Amino acid sequence: MSKFLQRHQKAVLSTLLVIVIAYGFYFWDSVRTTSILNFSLSYALPLILAAMVGIIGERSGVVNIGIEGQMLLSAFVAFFAAVATGSLIIGAFLGMASGLLAGAFLGIAAVKWEMDQIIAGVVINIVAAGITSFYYTPGQSLPAIVPRIEIPYLSQIPLIGQVFFNKSIFVYATLILVVVLQVMLFTSKWGLRTRAVGEYPSAADTAGINVYRTRILNVAIAGVLAGTAGAYLSLDAAGWFERGFTAGRGFLALAIMIFGAWNPFGAMAAALFFGFASGMASQLQADEVINIPQQLINMLPYVMTLIILSLAAGKVRPPGAVGQPYKKEG
Amino acid sequence: MQTESDDAKKLHPSLEYLIKKQSFIVPIIAVFVALIIGSVLIYFQGANPIGAYKTILQASLGNERGLIRTLEKTTPLILAGLAVAVALRVGLFNIGAQGQLIMGAFFATWAGFTFTNLPALIHIFVGLLAGIIAGGLWAAIAGILKAYRGVHEVISTIMLNSIAIAILDYLVNYPYKEPDQPLPRTVPILESAQLPKIGFVPVGFILALLVATFISWLINRTTTGFRFNTVGANKFAAAYAGIKIKYVVVSSMLLSGGLAGLGGAIETLGITYRFEPAFNKGLGFDGITIALLARANPIATIPAAFLVGILRSGAPTLQFDYGLEPEIVDLLLALTLLFVAAPILGKLIFRKRAEKSENVSSGWGS
Amino acid sequence: MRRMRILAGISLLVLLLAACSSSTDSDSASSAEDTTATEVEATTEEATELDDSNCASAEVFCIGLVTDIGKVDDKSFNQSAWEGAVAAAESTGGFAKYVETVDTKDYANNIAQFTDKNYDAIVTVGFLMAEATVVAAKEYPDTHFIGVDQFIGEEIPNLTGLIFPEDQAGYAAGYLAGLMTKTNKLGQVLGLEIPPVQKFALGFEAGAKAANSAVTVTTVYHPPADNGFADPVWGGQEARKQLDQGADVIFAAGGGTGNGGLIEIAKDPGAGESVFCIGVDADQWGTVPEAQPCLITSAMKLITDGTSTLLGQVNDGSIAGGNYVGLTGLAPYHDFDSVIPDDVKAAVDEIVVGLKDGSIQTGVTL
Repeated sequence: MSKFLQRHQKAVLSTLLVIVIAYGFYFWDSVRTTSILNFSLSYALPLILAAMVGIIGERSGVVNIGIEGQMLLSAFVAFFAAVATGSLIIGAFLGMASGLLAGAFLGIAAVKWEMDQIIAGVVINIVAAGITSFYYTPGQSLPAIVPRIEIPYLSQIPLIGQVFFNKSIFVYATLILVVVLQVMLFTSKWGLRTRAVGEYPSAADTAGINVYRTRILNVAIAGVLAGTAGAYLSLDAAGWFERGFTAGRGFLALAIMIFGAWNPFGAMAAALFFGFASGMASQLQADEVINIPQQLINMLPYVMTLIILSLAAGKVRPPGAVGQPYKKEG
Repeated sequence: MQTESDDAKKLHPSLEYLIKKQSFIVPIIAVFVALIIGSVLIYFQGANPIGAYKTILQASLGNERGLIRTLEKTTPLILAGLAVAVALRVGLFNIGAQGQLIMGAFFATWAGFTFTNLPALIHIFVGLLAGIIAGGLWAAIAGILKAYRGVHEVISTIMLNSIAIAILDYLVNYPYKEPDQPLPRTVPILESAQLPKIGFVPVGFILALLVATFISWLINRTTTGFRFNTVGANKFAAAYAGIKIKYVVVSSMLLSGGLAGLGGAIETLGITYRFEPAFNKGLGFDGITIALLARANPIATIPAAFLVGILRSGAPTLQFDYGLEPEIVDLLLALTLLFVAAPILGKLIFRKRAEKSENVSSGWGS
Repeated sequence: MRRMRILAGISLLVLLLAACSSSTDSDSASSAEDTTATEVEATTEEATELDDSNCASAEVFCIGLVTDIGKVDDKSFNQSAWEGAVAAAESTGGFAKYVETVDTKDYANNIAQFTDKNYDAIVTVGFLMAEATVVAAKEYPDTHFIGVDQFIGEEIPNLTGLIFPEDQAGYAAGYLAGLMTKTNKLGQVLGLEIPPVQKFALGFEAGAKAANSAVTVTTVYHPPADNGFADPVWGGQEARKQLDQGADVIFAAGGGTGNGGLIEIAKDPGAGESVFCIGVDADQWGTVPEAQPCLITSAMKLITDGTSTLLGQVNDGSIAGGNYVGLTGLAPYHDFDSVIPDDVKAAVDEIVVGLKDGSIQTGVTL
């Protein structure tokens, strides 16, 4: 524990600082603080999931620029499967399955065919946009809504209880996933293999790791997460499907992934920050405290991200072999 | 190895020629395969595929009006494609062509209505220059952040896209809003700033062709191009060879953004004659598709953009004649891109002689 | 073996080329295909069995519709206008067809699809198309144009602008909200900040304050982006935030973005008892049934009625140029008829009458 604290001193301190500030604001204006943090989390949720997709891919050496398309496709499949079968659960699973399919395509194209990874991703994006628009049928409604699950006792904690412990299954699953992924990536055998394959594939190969299989499997499994993000968007966040409604979240997630230095915790923090900045922008517009046109206020999240990054950057480095198809020597 | 060369000797010269030119042949076949698969989709939508394709060609090339529209659509696509391609050569992935393009479009318009009493030729030149500078500087921000602060260009260009949209939305809603009407748009540019047509060919299109040729020369035949390619191929080797990487990164982004900005400038000076926020949805993203179709080869952006231009130009008539949704065009494009990029076709036809395609995404991780 | 493959590949290419050229060459064959294709299309279109081959003749009344960027099934203004066109086609025994716009630069071309076939009336939807419509109306004096949401500044005999006092519908909705609120906090989840939306929003605020001086209205527009009217996720999140901050009646106006807001409010445990929502444009009780738990009314602009009325006038020749002010109003209360107190209903009815006869002014100017 003390070792952990030592190694992650900065992260732990800044997390504590954020919590203290949040409670400070909570005692000043509990309603606004809670609601803005709620907004931040729901804004961040698909970004977190999508950033995890990016992290798993790039940690194993595969750029995934098709997250946008994967999410859109799964949102579409999840919605219409739920409508057709009358079951949100079947919808969600089929959405995840379609994410898996898109992920497997990327994996096979990028690794087996040695196709350019960015092109493979762009193909997914265009195909998804085309299919979901072409085969969209209007006038469908979901059979039910995703229920909120209130966690007993925990949900009674001021602020945190309302923000984190009175949410849908998607939120809990995502939060657990981030923790699991963080631990797995840096302590498990799978994590070690994944990072080896992404950093130095030829060494990994020498060590007896199957580079191709590891990459394909990882990218495919990450597709399930993209599918979950898509299912969350259509089944829970919107309760509705609209053409092109992922609206660049997949690209934003790539930015979040880099912002978070290819770390699950880092990406979650970055996504929450981005969600918070967006929530603040909308609150500033709503409260009309400053007399600035909303167009300028709404630049805030983007400008702040750029400023923070340019002040803090320079230290993070992407995985060594990202973007390069692996070719066995000889 | 021995049998390989023996076999090659026995080949007919024309087949040899085809194998050498496979980087041209594969994309053409890819288009056909995409069209065949697309025809199945169209058939299941209850329309006649051959008639549908005929309609696209007829509407986009078969009459003067259609041809002009196709050329007008192709123009910014060539430039956006070049913008992405130039950055890819240096190993930079410019997702921000969209933002640079609209920045260029706005400032070209601004020059078009602000400067008065200029002779047409000079006014047009000033307008285009304003667009190039605006787009270039906007992209240079990403270049500088990358070179000096290590900010990944994918983040910065995505952020800059959104910032550009917001700034321009503000400008056309407040300081530069056309007075006495409710719409968020600028006043029209002066007549002296309007790009003319030579015969039926828009000047902007000719300009785009010239620029593509110039960029191709720059990339393949000059030391600047050599530096670009070297940095893109291997940063460490480039640094070892004494190339100033920071300078190359910033200048390539400046060039990339300038190209996108020029695309935007031609749009407003040649077609819309004013700036409206909604006018160029998604052009920058089409630029990515085109650059990838062209495999980052500047001169190849011309046919790639032309293909996209034809499809987009013909889509409305396709809907009119057959009730097919315009998105079918995107599916065709995605299939084409897939078959161009996936080595399946090349391997199927040329077997072991298939060329390994260059990898454009290797620069991502740097 | 290898050579066989190469040969096979080339012969495939040649075959494809031959197939392609033969289909474009043989006119008789392809014209036969065309007719079958048109029949298919006529059954897939939501129209009568008529086709547009004889629109030039006086007997057949042909209606063409060009959507603004967006789809004809958008549950918003494009769809409403199209329903009006279909209704007019049915009542006149005519024929209606649409083309969806993907790129604003295609407006003129999309209009030309219909003028080329001598359509009698062409409906263009959305204020962005105003300029293209004026140009087309001048070029084709024999076709009557109807511009939905377009204020016509200059009198052109064959062009009628269908405009709506959105502020009045917003005002009536705001008045109802001002009387229904218990917390004295109202919210607005809006699409992009463009004139029709601004008029709804400002009208809503003015009406709410007229009904209840203690009320505060939170107004939030979607950030500038391409998807301002198609972002239900953001709409839902913003609605949730406003609910959390105590707003108990929320006006959601902005296509898909607003619909996302309505659905989120409907999910609230207090929906229909302590929390209400108000829709926009059409009666959203029918278009977004998910919102029924909270939907007390919708601020309607009767685009469908206005479009079909004007088209009917075109058919019988009674139409005049200039602007036609369509109806706005509140949708029925449906299931909430028993929930809303009688005195509130009476007060709102009075406001609606007052707005109609001009005795009540919203005071909204843009």
